Amino acid sequence: MSDVLQVNALRTHFFTHAGVVKAVDGVDFTVRKGEVMGLVGESGSGKSITGFSILGLIDPPGRIVDGSIRFNGAEIANAPEPELQKLRGNRIAMIFQDPMMTLNPVLRIDTQMIEAILAHEDIPRQTAWERSRDALGLVGIPSPEERLRAYPHQLSGGMRQRVAIATAFLNRPDLIIADEPTTALDVTIQAQIIHEAQKLTRQTGTAMIWITHDLAVVAGLADHISVMYAGRIVEQGATDDVIDRPLHPYTVGLLGSVPSANKRGQRLYQIEGMTPNMLAMPTGCAFAPRCRAATPGCDTAPPITDIDGRHLRCHHPQTVGVAS
Amino acid sequence: MTAPLLEIRGVSKRFTKRLDVAGKIAQRLGSKIREETVHAVDAVDLSIAPGEVLGLVGESGCGKSTLGRVVAGIHGASDGQVLYDGKDIAALTGAEKRAATLAIQMIFQDPFASLNPRMRVEDIIGEAPRVHGLVSASDASNYVDEVMSKVGLDPSLKRRYPHQFSGGQRQRIGIARALAVKPKFLVCDEAIAALDVSIQAQVINLFMDLREELGLTYLFISHDLSVVEHIADRVAIMYLGRIVESAPTEALFAAPKHPYTKALLAEAPRLDQRKRDFAPIEGEIPSPLDPPPGCHFNPRCPLARADCREARQMLETISPGRAVACHHWTET
Repeated sequence: MSDVLQVNALRTHFFTHAGVVKAVDGVDFTVRKGEVMGLVGESGSGKSITGFSILGLIDPPGRIVDGSIRFNGAEIANAPEPELQKLRGNRIAMIFQDPMMTLNPVLRIDTQMIEAILAHEDIPRQTAWERSRDALGLVGIPSPEERLRAYPHQLSGGMRQRVAIATAFLNRPDLIIADEPTTALDVTIQAQIIHEAQKLTRQTGTAMIWITHDLAVVAGLADHISVMYAGRIVEQGATDDVIDRPLHPYTVGLLGSVPSANKRGQRLYQIEGMTPNMLAMPTGCAFAPRCRAATPGCDTAPPITDIDGRHLRCHHPQTVGVAS
Repeated sequence: MTAPLLEIRGVSKRFTKRLDVAGKIAQRLGSKIREETVHAVDAVDLSIAPGEVLGLVGESGCGKSTLGRVVAGIHGASDGQVLYDGKDIAALTGAEKRAATLAIQMIFQDPFASLNPRMRVEDIIGEAPRVHGLVSASDASNYVDEVMSKVGLDPSLKRRYPHQFSGGQRQRIGIARALAVKPKFLVCDEAIAALDVSIQAQVINLFMDLREELGLTYLFISHDLSVVEHIADRVAIMYLGRIVESAPTEALFAAPKHPYTKALLAEAPRLDQRKRDFAPIEGEIPSPLDPPPGCHFNPRCPLARADCREARQMLETISPGRAVACHHWTET
């Protein structure tokens, strides 16, 4: 399979009055055609900023300070704006957590979807309208002709997110970045949305980066998982490996803190403390202050090591079962 | 069986949007405009034994928060009774009423919106016990220290304001505020939904420790099935204002009976399911302004037949401690 996206040593920093926030600080990953990568992390871990960096959506005081983003072989990190505009919504599309971030509240759905097509292709308006209608049908929206005439506020949250997904798929992109697209939705609606996204990626071979804080969602959806903590990917590997045999103490802790049937009524594994202040990052491993396996050696930054088919940033991989 | 600590009998809560003057004139002139009523909670019965944790699960708009607020006394019920220790709270007066309302406290979802940003933590926690005479003004400071340590907060931070704390710490402040009046019963309304996974685990552990230490009873409202499965003894599933199924946690998760419960359990993402095909139930949750006739779930239900559109099946006990509201639950 060919690589759609290669991200190497990406660093996106924000230069604020209070200091430099290293939101993304050395991130590497590769996404292949037709593959779903789950990018997992808690709030402030830099997972959304990674997604925004790929699309060139970082506004001052932030900027990509280092690293490369190769999309279909071409370098797009800090590419000129006109070049990025040709990619956005066309070859790379994004689905946001809040569909109202995608949709303009004062324009009808048809206006917005047709615009998304005509911005990249010179085809008759009627053809664009037909393609929009078919796209809405594909994501399970009943009577799409009627819905095309609606304004976003006339649709429910789940319907809006379907419209956002249909819009993202309009130009058959090579890559879709989905940033917590189901977090605001109910369980039954979430399942519907994941179902539509899954169906479309399988049909079109579109690669997807699914950004989420919910390990259970990516466990059922992703081929690979990258776990982010404080701006770095700390563990990366095939879904089964990462979920069943986590090696990084942070991944172990995250998985241990998810309630499930086999731990019913028992105390949950608890990661002490909280995520570090992004302005005053610990030197060395950022997780060390909360880590049970930490030793004085952890004040040097752990290099990326390959163990058991995985990339890992840790001095003390948890190879002997789950710590408790 | 022991007598329930809290019992809800036939509680309904309706919200009506009244017509303003212009609306009334328009109506006189023949407009189809009318008063709209939302049946947020529709004739719900529940009972919770002392020391029990009842999980109340449902999707947004199903009325679970409204029911929690009725129990906590924030909303009055439109119909029905809320009984605390066998007595109807609405009928109590004076000291008895105060004791009953103090005994039931609520913890809210959003730790950013539920704390007054202009009050110091010591006042947020200390105000209620002082006003209600649980501690004297001179002991208040020590009492606040004690409550703060109980929920895992450093008492030396009590002079700070809420914005100086993280989300997880704020939720602890909310819990300390509720505990400060020595309640017996806590209504937790999505109390951990706004927190990160690792912080969620800390707060769930805190709830379980407090239960053991103080013998608390909980009504734990959540949309997250895995959390409820973890913490609750019994679970009630709500859909569009009604309870559709209630059962002991293990029995419910092992063998759900109501088609809605089945769908919910099947679709909740779980860690142990890989690369699966998501096969969702069709349709959306109908508007509570205009619920479908008969069983509320019938437009989305795979088992629905003509009788489901005609009559509502009331909650029916099918085995000890287990009830389901469905005409066709015996079929699969």
